Order: sequence, then C-alpha cells, then structure tokens
Amino acid sequence: MRLAAWLGAFAVLAALPFFLGSYHNDVYRKLLLWITLALGYNFLFGICGQVAFSHFAFYGIGAYSVVILLFQVGLPLPLAITLGVVICVALALAVAIPATRLEGFYLALVTLALAQLFIVVLNEGGAVTGGTGGIAGYRLPAVFGWRIAGPAYTVVIVFLMLATLALLLRLDGSWFGRACRAVRDNPEAAAAMGVDVARTKVIVFTLTSALAGVAGMVYAFVDNTVNPPIFGLDNAFLILFMVIVGGAGRHAGAVIGAILLFLLPFWLSPLVGHHHQLVFGLFVLAAILFQPKGLIGLWDRFSR
Amino acid sequence: MQDFFELSLSAAASGCIYGLVALAYLLMIRPTGIINFAVGEWAMLGAFGGFLLLTKFEWPYPVGMAVVVALMLAVGWGTERLAVRPLMEKRAPLLAPILALLGMLVIFREAISVSFPPDPHPVPYAFEIQHQKYFIIAVSALVFAGFWFFFEKTLWGRSFEAVSLNRRAAALMGINLSRVTALSFAGGAGAAGLAGLLVSPNVSAHYLMGVPLAIQGFTALVIGGVGRVEGALLGGMLLAFAEQLTTRYAPIPSGYAQGVPLLFLMIFLLVRPTGLLRARAA
Repeated sequence: MRLAAWLGAFAVLAALPFFLGSYHNDVYRKLLLWITLALGYNFLFGICGQVAFSHFAFYGIGAYSVVILLFQVGLPLPLAITLGVVICVALALAVAIPATRLEGFYLALVTLALAQLFIVVLNEGGAVTGGTGGIAGYRLPAVFGWRIAGPAYTVVIVFLMLATLALLLRLDGSWFGRACRAVRDNPEAAAAMGVDVARTKVIVFTLTSALAGVAGMVYAFVDNTVNPPIFGLDNAFLILFMVIVGGAGRHAGAVIGAILLFLLPFWLSPLVGHHHQLVFGLFVLAAILFQPKGLIGLWDRFSR
Repeated sequence: MQDFFELSLSAAASGCIYGLVALAYLLMIRPTGIINFAVGEWAMLGAFGGFLLLTKFEWPYPVGMAVVVALMLAVGWGTERLAVRPLMEKRAPLLAPILALLGMLVIFREAISVSFPPDPHPVPYAFEIQHQKYFIIAVSALVFAGFWFFFEKTLWGRSFEAVSLNRRAAALMGINLSRVTALSFAGGAGAAGLAGLLVSPNVSAHYLMGVPLAIQGFTALVIGGVGRVEGALLGGMLLAFAEQLTTRYAPIPSGYAQGVPLLFLMIFLLVRPTGLLRARAA
C-alpha cells in the first residue's frame, strides 16, 4: 500500500512535465530542486537543530565538481558522480568535526565563512572553475547511448526529490531520527541517554551536505551552466527561510515553505521588482515572533 | 624596513576594524548568549550614515560622526526591542532571537539596497587619506579603553559582568536584565556602526559590505575569546596581520586572503576553542 502511494506520487509528478511548455518545465524543475534542498536542510536545522549556512554552497560544490570532473578532467559519468560525493563528504567532515566539538553556534560561524570562501574560490579559480563567467556550453553525457533531455530529465529530478524524501522519512522514523530530535531539544539529556551528541551532529551535517551536493550535480544539467552568482549567500539564507516559514522540523513544512518562497517572487516582482528578499525578511521575522511553528503549524490549528 | 612599517600600520588599522566588529559581537554574546550575525549589516548602516551626512549633506566630520554613532545606538536599541525582547519575554529558545536577527539582517540589507543605487558610495576621510589609518587606530584605542574602563571599574559594567556569569542570580540581585540586554545591543550597534564608518573611506559604502566584515569580526572573536574586551582587539590584530602577511608574501591571488579567516577559525576551534584570553574568574 505504501509502495503504491509512492509509485502513484512518482507517476503523477513525473507525468506532469510532459504536459508543460518549456518555460513552465524549467520553473517546475527548479521548484523540485528547491524542495529537495529544503527537505535536506530541514533534517539538519529543523530536526537536529543545527544552523549552517553551507547547504547551498554544497549544492554548488556538487554542481561544480561534477562539471569539472566530467569536462575538465574527462572522467566517465558514474566515476565523476562518485568522486563528487566523496568531495562533498570530505569537505563536510573537515568542517563539522572541529565545529561541533563545542557547544554553541560554531557550525553556523564556520559554514558562513566556508560559503563565502567558496564564492571566492570560484571567482579566482582561473581555467579550472572558469572564473567569474563560470562554465557553460556542456551537455549531459549519454547514458547507455541515450541522451536524457527535456521532460525526461525532469523525471530524473522527480526521482531525486522523492528518493531524498523517502530516505529522510525513513531516517526520521528510526532510532537515528529520535537521537537527532533529542540533540536538538536537550543535548545534555541526549548525552545522558547514551546519544553521542557530537557524532550525531557530524553525521547529520555530512549526510545533508552530501544530499545537497547530489542535488547540485543534478542541477548542473538543468541550465547547462554553472557560475558564481548562482551559488551566492542570498540563497543560503533563502533555504533557511523556507524551512522557518514552512515550519521547522516537519517535512511537509519544508515542502510548503519551498513552494511558497520559490513561487512568491513570480507574483511579487510586478510590485517590488527584485526586492522580494525584503518581503522574505519580514516573513521570517513575523514567523519567528508570532508563528514559530510556521505555516504547517497554522494548518494544524485550523484542521483540528 | 619602510615596507614592513607600512604593512604593520595598515594591518593595525584593519585589525582595529575587525576588533570593533568583534567587540560588537562580544557585547551582545556576554550577557545574552546571542550571536548576532547582523553586526555586519550594522557596520554597513554606519557606512551609509557616513555617506548621507558627510558626503551628501557635507556636515563637519566630528558632528557627522557623533550623529552616526548616536543613530546606530538607536538602531541597536530598536533591533533589540523588535526582534529580541518579545522572544526573551516568551522564554523562547536561544535560537529564536538568533534567527529573528538573521531576518533583520536581510531587512537591513534590502532596505539599503532599495533606497540607494547599487554602485559604491564614497565617504570622506576624517583628515587626509594618509592620516586615516592613524585616525582609525586612535579612535579604536579610545573605544576599547572606554569599554575596558566601563567593565572593570564602574558599577554598571560590573552588573553586565554579573549578568554574563549568571543571569538568574544577577536578576535576583536586583539587576534589570532587560535594560542590560537593551544596552548591550545599543553598544554593539554603536561599535559596529563606528567600524563601518571608519572603514568606509577605503572601501566605499556598499550594500554588500556587511557579510565579509561579519566573518572577519567573528573570526577575531573566536581567536581572542569571548571572555574579555581586550581579546576582541587582540584577535582582530592577529587576524589582520595574518591576512596582510599572506597577501604580501604568499604567492597566491589576493582574493584568497578571504580564506585566512576560515583557516584561523578551524585551527582555533581544533586547538584552542576558548580563544587566547580566558574570561577572568569572578
């Protein structure tokens, strides 16, 4: 029955792009990717209580790694993807192990510095990263002689999003998910119950960063270009805001937040131009002050 | 020798700027535990205050500077009123005000980006261009001396210390917690705004100038330790010297100097997480 529900969801979401025009297909793909990112970040921030600003940087690291490994180094696709994941995991471990040894918000500090440095490296990387212009004009290599493009590639993204959701739901329902919530709510009590607090934080950060990296790899072939402005700090804040506005700690909240904040600029731009960030800032402030459980909390209250 | 003197002078001046930003963090962290990422945007507001009053309205420098600092004190006080106090009164977890302040960060930045065109805005030097570094060092020295005196020698300063050691006990001793919090935010905004005003003649006021300053400031804070005012200045100096020496002598593109803070952060978190200066035991 549960498998049937998953397959049904996959069928509906995967059929949709075949009825959309190319513009709406593009919007749909990016929406799915934002939902994937928000789901991963919700596990780190909402469920495990760790603030990090590097989630979007890892999305960029994944995208750049796969492009550089494929087209500058010339590796085959499976190897490039595997190595890209290894890079994300190694970087995440290098950042998380020192930063989570201590109480407090050191992970937030270190990951903010990392996200800033990532942009610098992209801009200064010369021929390897393509500098400020980035890398463009490449195409996804053929898989078993088949070039995936157009709506078929959207199906790949639907699969990515549902696979991420399934993995996170599974983890959330397991012993590990409960350990994460314990670390968030009361680290001392969690430690007393036998949860290794630092290790839990490191594992969650590494896992969610790797998931963001994989999403980035998929993104690399959406626009077939990667460049520094895409991966700036604004979007790092945006993921956090999506999770807060939607409802931190709830998978449905992350989905609602991602949909709302991704689509809002389309409606807002006639009113405020490019300054929709100002509206987001006000949303977040209002959410934290008046509705800490986010939109999903409002839904709970009215559906009862 | 001449070259090294020049380098030391400009490192000392940037060290003072980082130190002032670190001081802003420290003023708020000590009594409340809140790390306020919006200090970088406060520095940016200070720089734009300088542009508006000194460049546009051509006020005399001392008057403009005093008004900018006064306005920043008000901004800090207002920020605390709006984004921190309601949450503290609800006894929300510490993360809530930190996130609310992140919301404020975006609001500050976007408010400036809406109000001013996106190109850099010039801010005048206090005297001549070649004296600005001395001016930065002198003003910072005065600010740090003032705060040191305040915390070590005055009853008010001691009450701040009492709050950082134990909020509950301090409240029971009759210290007004919400007043201490409001003042620490006002002071933090004042210090950060001053840093922004002092650095702006060199970098020009720009709405994206906040985040790099915020990163350099908290690196200085982690190096020096959150325990004492002197630590913020020491951390700022060490970071600035490391940055200047790297760009001067290491054969890497100058943009990578922005990697120095991250490197320092990692090293200090691994080796000496309490920072160089420990808080004095009461």
